[in-house]
Amino acid sequence: MRPFLVAGCVAAFAALGAPDARALDAEVTSDTDAQFYDVRSPTGLTVLQRDRLTTTLGVGAYHLLDAPMGDLSAPDLSFRARVRYDADYGAQPGTSDPTNRSLFVPGFQPGVVDLMYAYLEGRRFLKGALGFKLGRQYVTDVLGWWAFDGGEVSVTTPYYFKVEAYGGLEERGGLPLSTPRFESDGVWRGDRGNFDSQLYPSFQPAAIAPAYGVALESAGVTWLHGRLTYRRVYDTGDTGVTEFASGLYGPSVYSGARISSERVGYAVDANLRSLGGVKAGLVYDVYRAQVTSIYGSLDAYLGKKVTVSADYDYYVPSFDADSIWNFFAGEPMNDVGLRANVDFDRHLSIAGSAQLRVFEVQTALFDPFSGAPAAGAYSPYPTGAGGEVFPTNGHPFDEIGNFSARWRDGLTTMLLRGTGSWGDEGDRVGADASLDHVFETRYIANVRTGVWQWQDKLQPDRDATSFDYVLGMGYRFALRSQAMVEWEHDINRLVGQRFRLLAKLAIAVGP
Amino acid sequence: MRGRLFALAGRLSRAFLPVLAILFAVPMALADGTSPPHGIAPLPNDEPVPHRWLPPGADNPDTGPSDVIFPTQQIPLRFNHAKHLGKDVGAACKTCHPKAYSSERPSDSLVPSGVVCDACHNSDHDDLSHVKPGDDASGQCAFCHLGYKPADGNAVAQLALPRANMVFDHKVHADRNIGCPQCHGAVDKLELATRDQLPRMAGCFSCHEAPDAASRGSAKSACDTCHIRGADGTGIKTLFASGSLSPPRWLHDAEHTPDFIERHKAIAGDNSQFCANCHKEDFCTDCHDGRVRPRSIHPSDYLNMHPVEARMEPQKCQSCHRDQSFCLDCHLRVGVSESSPADARESGRFHPPKAIWSDSPMRPGHHGFEAERNLNACVSCHIERDCVACHGALGVGGGFDPHQNGFVAGCRTQFRRNPRPCFVCHEPTDANVNQCK
Repeated sequence: MRPFLVAGCVAAFAALGAPDARALDAEVTSDTDAQFYDVRSPTGLTVLQRDRLTTTLGVGAYHLLDAPMGDLSAPDLSFRARVRYDADYGAQPGTSDPTNRSLFVPGFQPGVVDLMYAYLEGRRFLKGALGFKLGRQYVTDVLGWWAFDGGEVSVTTPYYFKVEAYGGLEERGGLPLSTPRFESDGVWRGDRGNFDSQLYPSFQPAAIAPAYGVALESAGVTWLHGRLTYRRVYDTGDTGVTEFASGLYGPSVYSGARISSERVGYAVDANLRSLGGVKAGLVYDVYRAQVTSIYGSLDAYLGKKVTVSADYDYYVPSFDADSIWNFFAGEPMNDVGLRANVDFDRHLSIAGSAQLRVFEVQTALFDPFSGAPAAGAYSPYPTGAGGEVFPTNGHPFDEIGNFSARWRDGLTTMLLRGTGSWGDEGDRVGADASLDHVFETRYIANVRTGVWQWQDKLQPDRDATSFDYVLGMGYRFALRSQAMVEWEHDINRLVGQRFRLLAKLAIAVGP
Repeated sequence: MRGRLFALAGRLSRAFLPVLAILFAVPMALADGTSPPHGIAPLPNDEPVPHRWLPPGADNPDTGPSDVIFPTQQIPLRFNHAKHLGKDVGAACKTCHPKAYSSERPSDSLVPSGVVCDACHNSDHDDLSHVKPGDDASGQCAFCHLGYKPADGNAVAQLALPRANMVFDHKVHADRNIGCPQCHGAVDKLELATRDQLPRMAGCFSCHEAPDAASRGSAKSACDTCHIRGADGTGIKTLFASGSLSPPRWLHDAEHTPDFIERHKAIAGDNSQFCANCHKEDFCTDCHDGRVRPRSIHPSDYLNMHPVEARMEPQKCQSCHRDQSFCLDCHLRVGVSESSPADARESGRFHPPKAIWSDSPMRPGHHGFEAERNLNACVSCHIERDCVACHGALGVGGGFDPHQNGFVAGCRTQFRRNPRPCFVCHEPTDANVNQCK
């Protein structure tokens, strides 16, 4: 199918008046990963045997329009697509059989084919002013990663800003050639095509999700960039609405177009070469009427080699508007941190950071209709000031530290990474060291080892220390084509010895 | 009388001229013998070039231009730009580099051939296999060609000036009356010009700050204005024999430091097109929609340790994983989820004992508190039915209210836009729902 697609596109461009596209570059790429490993429960029992195969096939045709040599303002047209097959041959057959009530997992598919992206992109039309994308594509900005089928048009003005508008259908799991990766969280949804309508009422049917968005973005200036973005997505079709546990009411259905998500965000960064920079972002969830994300970073350049930064990150979980979890009380996270990076020379760099996570304490019990704290009916932790404090296991804040060092020289890279996090939920401390080297530009070798220790504050019997090592080797038979095999051995007291075999084959044919 | 005076002067001059010659020539000869030859470095004695003479955009202290863009050169020549551009010779840049005013590609050779030197040095470079030296010392081969030995005949060390890995049109810049120093610095103050006199990227941005749609001829800031476009669909080519390109610190603070993976969100979230200049989607989706655990993010044995981190830093999980599909699928299959099928293998109880987790009174470790802090962790295992069973208005728990403080203030808008979640827990006739209608 893919060769026909490419041929069709090339033929279409030719018909549109680019018969002598001398600058055309085309490529075909394929990445295949085979993974074999066990998933074991903390009791040591092997609960899943995973024999996974993931393979992708990508095609690209670039610079489809003929351009005079050296004319960098000439319009440019390209096409790009990637298809993926992701399978788990270790899955039990009953897991994907709706008639097998004892094993069936709604939504699980042992082998999934999805179209990751496939779009035609135009740039610099109308003397550099017009750009467009048609097809399945990603949008990445302060609102996060998102994918949709449709069209996007951007107009770049000479006045240092550009305007972008897009619309189409959000990529939704359960629809053909789609995965749920980029849809809003909080709804268990997928293809119910072969289900009895009475079974698994919690598993919602997938339906098309119309969406549109606009963005206003700065253009041209390199020391300052900002993007204001807005996006609205609709849920459509039927959705199960059931008092699941009471038994007083049967399954019922709500139908109709409704908001899935509606958010506006702004991100900005500015840098002065000899001083430092600032970055900030904010997301406002219009449906929830709440700011769900704020981040900021202030960087100071202390000479040419040292950068020190102060960071702030605020996060509140948010979900699809179909989800009940939007309305559950949540404690926003507030991370404050300091970070530093030192470039000793062109080979060696070291970075480290320390963060403190502060939870914004809401009252734990309250009257949702008056907004006033409830009269402590259930909590034994009154503050005496009319509110309730968030009880802890004696650890009101989370502390997080990171350290990383990298030495590289040509075809050799050494990395050392360490992380420590301590909090009410648990502690985790550990470090990795790795060495990657390419001999004679084609023989690849890597070795990695690590020691990690964790304590689960909710389940103390799950504490463990793990030692691991990875040995890998490969052969690079062209610049972007190589084969690799990696052997991983993990040892901890909970699951004993675990092994993982990973084989990778990457092939690129093209310029 | 006048005749005798002239005769005396003549005798004196004949007598003293040799003395004068000795007085001047000997010190000069001594000086020549002790001072280093000029023209083999930008400044005598390899003194550092003052920052104000370097190309605009040079760091202070300077470490030279990019090794990747301008690969290492070998210039086995002796040349003194300051002398040639000074009053003595009076040459201009164009005298020796006329092609710099018409060149459209960086692959053009702009170094003058020996023929240009012949005009003053009396040499003859017309036939490079039979170069004829000039009459005086300045015309000898060794005067300019370092390491030249007469026994080598016409063989001289070759210049190695690899082409710059960039797009550059000298003519466009010259036509706009952009003078040579504007990119190359004060070469007229220096002797030998080296890589250090090649442009710095930061200096380009003193002009290149215009968007794509600016009038033709304006200095656009798009990366491929100066960088070679990638033939594989990337905005620019980053991999060269001389190394690979990565952004400098001062450009969106995007230096790829060892911790860049932890802080790249702020850069990509603001300007993903900036990243797309070097990276195709595939590079990003290897993690953000990946199927193989990236070692740069998750260490080995992560399967066993992930619950702790998933509860501590759910916002990080969310950037690559969707709770109600990626996480839930696996948790249902392994039997850790409450809604797992009957024969899914039992992994043991995940939560603390019931007395702590769900019984009254609430105490540290109660699921109500844990859910407030780690709602994403709940959603990664539970379907909404699991919560509604107790928290639903008619649930077995009698409707323990899970709403956040001040919920009612905004619920009318939410109900109007999507009432579905309300009806999951409340009957349409529920008096509480009426407050949001």
